[in-house]
Amino acid sequence: MKKLLVSILTIMLALFMAFGMTACGDTGSDDTDKDGNTIVKIMFHVDKSSTEGQAYQKRLNAFNAAYKDQKIKAQGVFKARTAGASGYETELLNNQIEGTLADIVTFDAPNTAAYAKSGLLYDISSLISQEDQAKFYSLNKYEGKLYGLPIQESSAGFYYNKRIFAAAGINVSGYTAENPWNFEQFKAVCAQLKAHGTTAVDMRIDAVKDETAPYLLYSFIYAAGGSFTDSTGYTANGYYNSAATARGFQFIKDLISAGYTSYEIGATDFFTGKVGMYLSSGWTIPDLDNKYKQYFASREDWGLLPYPKDEIAASATGSWSYAITNNHHTDKTAIVELLKWMTSSESSKAITDATGMIPARKDVNNNYAAGTPEYTLLKQLELSGRERPVTVAYPTFSTTFNQVISGLGTSDVNTLLATATNTLQLEMNKLQNLHG
Amino acid sequence: MLKTTITILAVFTIAFIIFAVYDGITAKRRKEVYRTKSTITAYLMLLPAVNLAFMFVMLPILYSLGYAFTDYYLLKPNEINIVWFENFKDFFSELATKGTLYHAIKNTLIFVVGVVPLQIGLALLLSLFVNRPGIGSKIFKVCFFAPVVISLSVTSFLWLQILAPGENGLLNSLLGLFGIAPHDWLRDPRTAMPCIIVLSAWQGCGYQMLIFLSGLSNIRKELYEAASLDGANRLRKFKLVTWPGLRSTFVYIIITVFIGACRILTQPMLMTGYQDHTVTLSYYMYQQGYTFRWVGYSSAVALIMTIFIGGITLIQRRMFREKK
Repeated sequence: MKKLLVSILTIMLALFMAFGMTACGDTGSDDTDKDGNTIVKIMFHVDKSSTEGQAYQKRLNAFNAAYKDQKIKAQGVFKARTAGASGYETELLNNQIEGTLADIVTFDAPNTAAYAKSGLLYDISSLISQEDQAKFYSLNKYEGKLYGLPIQESSAGFYYNKRIFAAAGINVSGYTAENPWNFEQFKAVCAQLKAHGTTAVDMRIDAVKDETAPYLLYSFIYAAGGSFTDSTGYTANGYYNSAATARGFQFIKDLISAGYTSYEIGATDFFTGKVGMYLSSGWTIPDLDNKYKQYFASREDWGLLPYPKDEIAASATGSWSYAITNNHHTDKTAIVELLKWMTSSESSKAITDATGMIPARKDVNNNYAAGTPEYTLLKQLELSGRERPVTVAYPTFSTTFNQVISGLGTSDVNTLLATATNTLQLEMNKLQNLHG
Repeated sequence: MLKTTITILAVFTIAFIIFAVYDGITAKRRKEVYRTKSTITAYLMLLPAVNLAFMFVMLPILYSLGYAFTDYYLLKPNEINIVWFENFKDFFSELATKGTLYHAIKNTLIFVVGVVPLQIGLALLLSLFVNRPGIGSKIFKVCFFAPVVISLSVTSFLWLQILAPGENGLLNSLLGLFGIAPHDWLRDPRTAMPCIIVLSAWQGCGYQMLIFLSGLSNIRKELYEAASLDGANRLRKFKLVTWPGLRSTFVYIIITVFIGACRILTQPMLMTGYQDHTVTLSYYMYQQGYTFRWVGYSSAVALIMTIFIGGITLIQRRMFREKK
């Protein structure tokens, strides 16, 4: 019995050791397959079975068919963001540490500076012609170099309940992306809604645990003439705490103080007819079209208004992008082919048809009728889209922004901005020392 | 890093095998036939568990210890430099600015001071309540223990519904029946930490209740009978029989609850996000390491925290040591 036990344990030990050896085996031996195809790996941030994941896979299949003769084969690696964007980033960084980075990765646009500065991303300035670059609404640039191309674009705006507006006697037909309303007109509409007995607007000021609030609210600060950092992304002092920036935050605080918005608005209150307006991105369109039929039977019941302007017009932009990584592959020829394929007009159309977002390319024909929500988002993107601050300290910026928004209900704007600026500046100093 | 880890693991395994062989040989020299065989069997059975424990417990601790003295930035894994005590200097510099770190330490202390007595007190009361025969007590035992088996994430979301702001929140609607205005429990700095303390004590006390129950079952019934014959009432029986009988259990519980409380992370992370009025030291450490990518600094914070918890635990052990 004991001999048998010892034998079993010895076999187990051998297997355990063998497993360990296999795990530390060569990870770079998959550059070509048995048929001599050059393998190009691309990592996506979504699940393969999702609508978006399926769209990516279809484009990869089409690429493999088109490049069969050139012996290039694309392989998709799907790592769903189960723990949010930072969870996917952890995966990405683990791959970098292990030396198993895919040739192309998807990444959230605000990370461009940090990833580029750390050498994770490959400079593609010379690989993508100026003519091709001009076809995109935005590019992932840092210090004048191109590091990524967007998968799709996003824009946000104020969804409004037309029945509530009609009952309150509010006419907003004149406010379009080409002719946006201003801060005062926005407050006037809120006041009318409040007088009607409705919570005026869900500004999403409670969405401070992730990137939602920074994404939806940062453009108010640009609209007021403010900013967050200088052009190098290493100085926040004098920008984040400037009078113009404070004016942008004060506008949001005024909405809270006047009772037009609050932290207490439920996630579905707009969708169930309790709130007049709702600040959100283009991904809310499918929800309104399909999920809340009892409250919004058709598009006659809801509309979309642009961001209000102040000193200038500014609106939220930015989505996920593709980038070539600085991995062990020195010859990027096949990789660039796949990047160009995935950012082509056909791919752009196929992917945005699946996601409902705005195509990243200007040459994708959308045929949006004037006045439709999609038209408003696209026009707004073209006319007033401003990207989030480009800084290597973006995670700290995002965190401090959330802290300011969360504190607006109880604290003074200047005090909040002083703390936020101090925190962000300290982080920028540390990073500047690190990067030399 | 993977290769380094595998190498360290291989070295550890070889060292373990050499130690096992040496032990076996010495046993053979002494002609302890039975011991030789049982020694080999024991070591072989130990090996997988020891390897796993080394890989998933010891190795991360060793790595973290090393990283504390480096400038390891997550986006630059191949450019790690030794900076010696720079991270510790940064820690105290940031503490002096009374920024987020200051709030994290303050909130952690508030949480520990609040949750340790509340959780242990509740656990003791519940254990005394259910420590009697009958089917009713078994039902109560299950009810009180139920929150322990539910994940912290689930209980946090459950309490988010209870504490939701506005009239729709469960607590606010209940208070509304008595004419009390709705309150934003988790955004108000005065009420956020107390709420987190209450939910944590509620969630955790069931486990300590079971430990107290096992302690109570070890107290001999004759002692209670003797106390009854001497005319002791329930309070005196508790003071003179139950409490001394639970002393060693209590020491174990106070140390484990204290250590657990110092490491609080999930509840503030899921319920309020990274806010100064609820951030804790573990959350600060997580944010610095994962979100802000300063692995070296985060490891230094972890080391300081370990030293602090270890120090307090030693003091606790000394304080509760029985006088001979």
